[in-house]
Amino acid sequence: MIFFGCLLVLVLAAQIAELFIPALPWLYNAHVYIVPIIVFYGAMALPFPLMLALAFFAGVLLDALTVQVIGGKVEISAGSSILLYGVLAGIMHGLRPLFARGRWEVHCILSGVFTSLMVLAQYLMITFRRGSLIFTPEIWWQIGGPGLFAMAVAPIFFWGLQWLGQITAYSYGPERAPIE
Amino acid sequence: MSRTNIIALLIFGAVLGYFLSFGPATTQKFKAGVYGLLAPFLTGGSGIKKQITSVRSGLKSLDQLEHENAALQVENRELRATNQGLRDVEHEVNRLRHALNYRERSVFKLVAAEIIARDSSSWWRTVTINRGRRDAIETDMSVVTDVGLVGKTTTVSDTISVVLLVSDESCRIAASVEGSREQGIVSGERITRGMAPSLDLNFLSKQADLKPGQKVYTSGVGGVFPSGLLIGVVKTFRARELDGQAQLTPAVDLSHLEDVFVVTGRR
Repeated sequence: MIFFGCLLVLVLAAQIAELFIPALPWLYNAHVYIVPIIVFYGAMALPFPLMLALAFFAGVLLDALTVQVIGGKVEISAGSSILLYGVLAGIMHGLRPLFARGRWEVHCILSGVFTSLMVLAQYLMITFRRGSLIFTPEIWWQIGGPGLFAMAVAPIFFWGLQWLGQITAYSYGPERAPIE
Repeated sequence: MSRTNIIALLIFGAVLGYFLSFGPATTQKFKAGVYGLLAPFLTGGSGIKKQITSVRSGLKSLDQLEHENAALQVENRELRATNQGLRDVEHEVNRLRHALNYRERSVFKLVAAEIIARDSSSWWRTVTINRGRRDAIETDMSVVTDVGLVGKTTTVSDTISVVLLVSDESCRIAASVEGSREQGIVSGERITRGMAPSLDLNFLSKQADLKPGQKVYTSGVGGVFPSGLLIGVVKTFRARELDGQAQLTPAVDLSHLEDVFVVTGRR
């Protein structure tokens, strides 16, 4: 439970930090998303009910900070991020056996892919609302950029979170020798 | 699937259903509530970010000093640090004096605000300001600087508010063009090409033939934005099959905003 509490605090801290991290001008102003990496690690490292609780918490925060009510209309309904996190974290949880054996490669790649999928889903939802489906290279970079970034930093985050699991004596993590 | 997992899934589904059933008013309240809870973190984070930026700019000047003169490095460092501090103070004094002048000569009742956070996602152009309901801020109030229009408030909590920028596609403003009878709707673009955002002025007549440099102001139609606020300057004009469209450069440099004013009424 201590580890789960730590993950909740980290999700909150990361969500706030994202507001202060500027978009990457060399990547077509793509945004940096850290929260999905933490949630997807939690999806592998936590039991199913706690995984759902973490996905719910992250979804509520993301909805609160991104959903816009403009002119009396909701652009993306509240709850959509909870649903996205729930489904994607559920898929990640299904790959837990591989993670439990200490194999992280697939999960690092999937963290990136799922981050991009979340941004793509948001884009499709606002497109449905605003009309005119546009896919320019800039939009693809906005969708793919955060995923590439997440993929690149996921190993560092996973390593840090595994270390956190060890120091909090978390027993449900990967069956692996302690980090030197 | 174990019984615990099924129960957890059912609870998750039920709570998700509850959130999905939120209407605009409930969503607005939910957002304002969460923003209210996060306000101390956002304000604190803004302060930390400023300190980091300040340290980073200090390190740059140290780097330059090392190259300039190794013998006078220490003395130079002290003098430059002092100067840097004074320059920051001077810049701030000028900025505040400028803002105060604008507030005094403006025909609107203005509430000064500082930007504490920027875009929180890929698809909306927003900023968060350090003023809320306690400062008489409400939803759909215009936000301006002494140069021109910035956007409008969307979510308002007790102490902070979210401002939708004019560069956002969903921020639509009724506009009129200086020196012509042309009227249209200004909106941002879904995606920013390059560093500087561009605005579109739609629904002009085909014969409008706007010239680069012509100024575009709010027309006051619609009730959210008062008339006479500068939105931007015409960059290009093109006649389409049914109407005309102009591209505008926003009057305000939205990427370097620090202070803004919320229009709470007329004097």
